[in-house]
Amino acid sequence: MKKGFPPPFPPERENKNKLPPWVIRALEEKGLSAEGLVFACFCDMDNVALYKDSWLFFDNKGLYIASGTQETVKPKRGHVPPEPKVTIEKIQSIPVGDIDSLTAERYTSTGRLVMSENGEDVPLTYFSLGKIGDLDEFARAFNSYKETGETGITPRMDDGPGKCKKCGAPCPPDKDFCREHDKNKGTAVRLLKFFGTHSIQIAIILALMVMNAAAQVFVPQLSTRSLYDNVLSGGSPLEQSIKALGVLVLSVVGLRVLKTVITIIQDYMSASIMPRIMYDIKVRIFEAMQRLSVGFYSSKQTGSLMDRVTRDANNIYWFFTDGVPRLIIDGAMIIGILIVMFTMSWKLSLIALITTPILFLTLVLGDRLFRRMHHRVWVMRSRARSLVSDNINGQRVIKAFAKENDEYGHFEKESDAVRDAEVRLGVAEATLFPILDIFVLLLTTVVLAFGGVMVAKSEGNMTTGTLLSFIVYVNMLKEPFGFLSWISNWWSRCSDSAQRVFEIADAMPDITEKEDAVGLENIRGEVEINELEFEYEPARPVINKLSLHAPAGTMLGIVGKTGAGKTTIANLIARLYDAKEGSVKIDGIDVRDLKLADLRRNIGLVSQDIYLFIGSIADNIRYAKPDATMDEVIAAAKAACAHDFIMKLPDGYETRVGAGGQSLSGGEKQRVSIARTIIQNPKILILDEATAAMDTETERNIQASLGLLTQGRTTIAIAHRLSTLRDSDYLAVIDEGKIVEYGTYQELIKLKGEFYRLYKIQAEALKTIGIGDTEGVFAPDETEEEKHDD
Amino acid sequence: MTDAIQTISPETLKTEYLSAENCEFFASAHGFLGSKIKGKEYKRVILTRALPLTEPDKYICITDVEKTELGIIEDTSVFSPEQKKLIDDELSRRYFCPVITEIKSIKEKFGNFYFDVMIGDFKKNFTVKNLNKNIRYHGEGFDLIDVDGNRYRIPDFKAISPKSRRNLEPYLY
Repeated sequence: MKKGFPPPFPPERENKNKLPPWVIRALEEKGLSAEGLVFACFCDMDNVALYKDSWLFFDNKGLYIASGTQETVKPKRGHVPPEPKVTIEKIQSIPVGDIDSLTAERYTSTGRLVMSENGEDVPLTYFSLGKIGDLDEFARAFNSYKETGETGITPRMDDGPGKCKKCGAPCPPDKDFCREHDKNKGTAVRLLKFFGTHSIQIAIILALMVMNAAAQVFVPQLSTRSLYDNVLSGGSPLEQSIKALGVLVLSVVGLRVLKTVITIIQDYMSASIMPRIMYDIKVRIFEAMQRLSVGFYSSKQTGSLMDRVTRDANNIYWFFTDGVPRLIIDGAMIIGILIVMFTMSWKLSLIALITTPILFLTLVLGDRLFRRMHHRVWVMRSRARSLVSDNINGQRVIKAFAKENDEYGHFEKESDAVRDAEVRLGVAEATLFPILDIFVLLLTTVVLAFGGVMVAKSEGNMTTGTLLSFIVYVNMLKEPFGFLSWISNWWSRCSDSAQRVFEIADAMPDITEKEDAVGLENIRGEVEINELEFEYEPARPVINKLSLHAPAGTMLGIVGKTGAGKTTIANLIARLYDAKEGSVKIDGIDVRDLKLADLRRNIGLVSQDIYLFIGSIADNIRYAKPDATMDEVIAAAKAACAHDFIMKLPDGYETRVGAGGQSLSGGEKQRVSIARTIIQNPKILILDEATAAMDTETERNIQASLGLLTQGRTTIAIAHRLSTLRDSDYLAVIDEGKIVEYGTYQELIKLKGEFYRLYKIQAEALKTIGIGDTEGVFAPDETEEEKHDD
Repeated sequence: MTDAIQTISPETLKTEYLSAENCEFFASAHGFLGSKIKGKEYKRVILTRALPLTEPDKYICITDVEKTELGIIEDTSVFSPEQKKLIDDELSRRYFCPVITEIKSIKEKFGNFYFDVMIGDFKKNFTVKNLNKNIRYHGEGFDLIDVDGNRYRIPDFKAISPKSRRNLEPYLY
């Protein structure tokens, strides 16, 4: 565990609903027994919003807030973390009878636990926003316990799983080892595993790289040392010198040819392996992404996920294609050059090496400086790019508001910032690189001076050829050292990308199928929702203890304001999300116990967010049933009132839609999506604002088709427009995640409650625009009395 | 207000602007804010800033506990010092942000920024993902938003120590 990182023993590692044993002991020392404890949670602030460790818990007598300090001790590497030291400073106790209810209130950056006492709100403690889920759960557990004697909360994070098999330290529940003992912890190790299937070819490539480096190291021996000492020294007869020159030239050419051949073989082998490895990585990401639940996609931006499949995989590709070969060749070259240099003259080598660290250090410092400047340029360019993209996407709006000049002004401002950052970087590079070259020159000069003296003194067999080749070697060191000084950044970028890739590969889907999941071949289609609770964010409930029942073959209409939770109900029935508490049952079986494929096959969802894939209209209609015949496709399109508009398109059913294809209107897309669901022939049909984007006439036609479609199946229709729900057997009015009214159309009209209010508003709106009640919003068999009341 | 807007729906567009003349605040026995608006008493009201970053004392929306809007205060400075203190106390509770007094270190790893900071005498570690998107500039300072949604404030960037500034500066573009 690194210094400055979160302590190893966050209380949430243990059972969240119990107190850790060291806290219980500290409480006992203060004379408070936690024997009858029902529910507990950790809180990180006190009642004046200062950071303070505190534990909230209750038993059947009272609610307690114990505050103090918890000191965690950094564990030795690979050891079980020692127990934290807890000191309780203050215990506040409130009799259960004094508390009507608890609420966890959400503020901007904090939250506050508030109790209600005889209708008065009394603040108890603050907490940081990250804890709101726990505190909200605590409040609900308390309220439920006070009312029913049960907390109604399923316990989480038991002590059993989530312990390292080697040292017993806490670890994620799905892992057997803690980070210290997890053999797969290193990104590099995990990346290298992708190369495992090509180990022989990799070994050959590595050998070739070393040979390549050796060939490069050997060149100065021939082209410089032998040339000076054996040919140009002038001691030998001309004929012998020419012969030696011939041998030398042939050797150099031979060596170059050999190096080229090695490079060709090495590149050929790399070119055939690397795309395969990249294919494995991309397939792995894509496969993992398909496995993940809708919640994962909602929490990540599409752009960032696209980046992982494309840019991150490419970052890894280029590091292993360009970076690793250079690293091996340059590493081998440095070793080879040093060996050769020491063989030639150990004294001169030591002199050269003393000055080398200065060069290396300068390169590292220079790189660090440039990194910051490059980062700034990168951020500025990204901002300018975003502005351009925003501008292109918003062209219609810009033109409509005549804001071209303002937009130009914005772009000019961003471009100025990019230009300034680029100029600053350019100037710095232009200044620093020549200074670096001076360092290399100084190094060469020092070697030349000492070497020259050695040649003059004929010390240690030092010849002119040896000295000149030595200088060549010193210069040859510059490039590999330069590369080594920034390869670590390249690796950071690659491992950064790899980490993001592994984050997806390791992500656990929220929605998983049980091992003993039940199959459903022929379902009746009865949908039962019991005491359902759901929230996308802690303490912001979207569905609140909602119960509904749709007998098989009936139509249930759900009405409510925007944000009332209607679509969430549809998502929970289709198990795109799992309920927090309560259940959704199909034919009496909890959807969490059903096989996912069976569940989804039997549920047809026509959503308000329509998505058509790239391909023809026929392909899109066939999506759920790829083997559907053209007759079936046309029948489905006719049922969805899509056939007529499709036939008017030049390419008919072969019109390409989706990104880059023919643009269809919202209503047209909706009709294609209805046809797609019709062909699926599901037993339970969920129509989530399925006709919202259509004109009245088309909606009427589709209503008629849907009337046929809904026969013999359970339909859950969600709509704003009440006319859509005329044929519902039952209607539920939802508000803030709760059912406020439930009954038949006539019953709800007679009730004169929320449904009646909505119905009147819509009727008035239609009258205002001159349609009157031709929509059929008013019930056809409305009684005289009701008409009079209106 | 243009004619076009007026014809849409007078009910929904109606905004009740409140001032010291028609709105009075009081604190409950337990410190919560109550209000008497146009003669009607509300045991507890909630204040929300419309412009929390640039104009924290202007356009304050008052709602009851059921989140029904009761009105908007255009500028809190029109209230008496006692009344303004009640408003300010409630707003500072609701918008409370721990103030960073020192940035000891920032480590960047895999796109996450691990902050090791001091909040007064308290040592705090938090993680910010995608720093560019989780920073909110206001006046001379800014708020940092961590992975849990907690905010941490640096009211004046120039006022913190040079070392703290050096730690954060490379990421502030």
